[in-house]
Amino acid sequence: MRQVGIVGIGHTKFGRMDFDLVDIMSWAALEAMKDAGITDGIDQVFVANMGGSAINHQTGIASSLVSRIFLEPAMAELIENGPASGSSAVKCGYMAIASGMADVVLVVGGERMREVTGWKATDFVATLSHPDAEYAYGLTLPAFAGIFARAYVERYGLTEKHLATLAVKAHRNASLNPFAHIEESATLSGIWDGPHRDVVNPIMADPLRLYDFCPVSDGAAAVVLCGLDVASRFTKHVPVRIAGIGQATDTHCVHNRADMLDLKAVRMAAERAYAMAGIGPKEISLAELHDAFLILEVAESEEVGFFERGQAKAAIERGETEVTGRIPINTSGGLKAKGHPVGATGVSQIHELVKQLRGQAEAGRQVAEPKFGLAVNFGGFGNNVVATILAKE
Amino acid sequence: MVSTRDLYAEDRNVYAYRCPKCGVLYHPAPMVCKGCRNRRDPSEAVFPDFEKVPMGGPCRLLSWTRIYALPEGIDRPSIAFGIVEFDNGLRAAGQLMVADPQSGARLIAKSGLVRELVGRDFYGLQLFEA
Repeated sequence: MRQVGIVGIGHTKFGRMDFDLVDIMSWAALEAMKDAGITDGIDQVFVANMGGSAINHQTGIASSLVSRIFLEPAMAELIENGPASGSSAVKCGYMAIASGMADVVLVVGGERMREVTGWKATDFVATLSHPDAEYAYGLTLPAFAGIFARAYVERYGLTEKHLATLAVKAHRNASLNPFAHIEESATLSGIWDGPHRDVVNPIMADPLRLYDFCPVSDGAAAVVLCGLDVASRFTKHVPVRIAGIGQATDTHCVHNRADMLDLKAVRMAAERAYAMAGIGPKEISLAELHDAFLILEVAESEEVGFFERGQAKAAIERGETEVTGRIPINTSGGLKAKGHPVGATGVSQIHELVKQLRGQAEAGRQVAEPKFGLAVNFGGFGNNVVATILAKE
Repeated sequence: MVSTRDLYAEDRNVYAYRCPKCGVLYHPAPMVCKGCRNRRDPSEAVFPDFEKVPMGGPCRLLSWTRIYALPEGIDRPSIAFGIVEFDNGLRAAGQLMVADPQSGARLIAKSGLVRELVGRDFYGLQLFEA
């Protein structure tokens, strides 16, 4: 099969952006094209977005974006796969090039969620759950995270301190990332064992607290993909190769899983990506794991094979997932602190891996000599997951 | 095609669906039996529909949460949710009406009003102390 690489990356700052959704995505797209050293020559555009129609009352976003940055007559489609839309769009870009239908593909993911109130944004994301058996009850994604976390804590003995330690890590990494939504550091004494913990870090979805959750963010990220056989057109950067992509689905309703802690789609997506790349978890230098809720970073790190089930807590205690640790996780700050504009997230994860593999991450969060990076983009509450492995050429 | 949205039904019950061919129970309703691939037909125009079995009764709490940022249509300071397993092995999510829930506790599930939106009431499973 034709090899595919990434030759350009672009990103807006995540946070609140009082601009039109397509303007936000266009900015990231133009940054990626600038990084690739091109102003045209895009054969196909894939746009990842989840809430354009529900939140922004806007449809036909892919066509709008192409016209806004004068890429006509490029082919263009919108990819909606819930919070995994970004990685799904990258996968579509990969397939378009691997199949020979396109040589150069632009993938843009973006969202403008802060146009509505926080609860409306939460409600919009909750519409991905089952309409009768979940959504109608008022079950939100944070509620599923709380249910999952309680089961995990009761089975494996994870503590609030473990999650607070991950929050401190996420904030520290985000504070070094110029694109991150959250710019402030956090301390254990502030959010875990300080006298004002219940004010600073209140329970939101018992047993999870405020600092266990991602913020609601606006923002966009973009990448330019090309066939490695035509990569000589791009001279600014050595391409980062897409070594493996895996995807898997699981039951729509969380209650229909034999074991609610078994994130089968995460495990299978990772296994498929490893098989395609011809490597295993031990070869991975760093990972961006979908931590909309910090409990997911814990569980996903086990499902992708970094740690045995129930052993992530010991790795947290040993600092193994810090930037300088054995397997750095979420050097960008993760969704937890970099932010989570849902359609942008999967593309943003790829952006971070490319930056790390090029050695361009900011001081204090650059991983030493990375060779392979893994991204896990988690759709629904684990019912549609995409894993992507990038390799330094 | 009849809607599968039985939570909006006037009889206000929550149902499981039994495959008429092999007897396996589902909640919520699938469009095909996972085991024998028998098709479900809500209109009963082509195939017999799955049997609707009202849900409720004794169950065991598998895990739960209480949230404080509530969606529209729920006028309470907080709301708890649980996932339960019935004695026949069927599982479901529901609103937890227990002050101090404990995973593993025996509960009783009943159908009740779970959410009120403009022009539409939602009925679903509520979980009470046994």
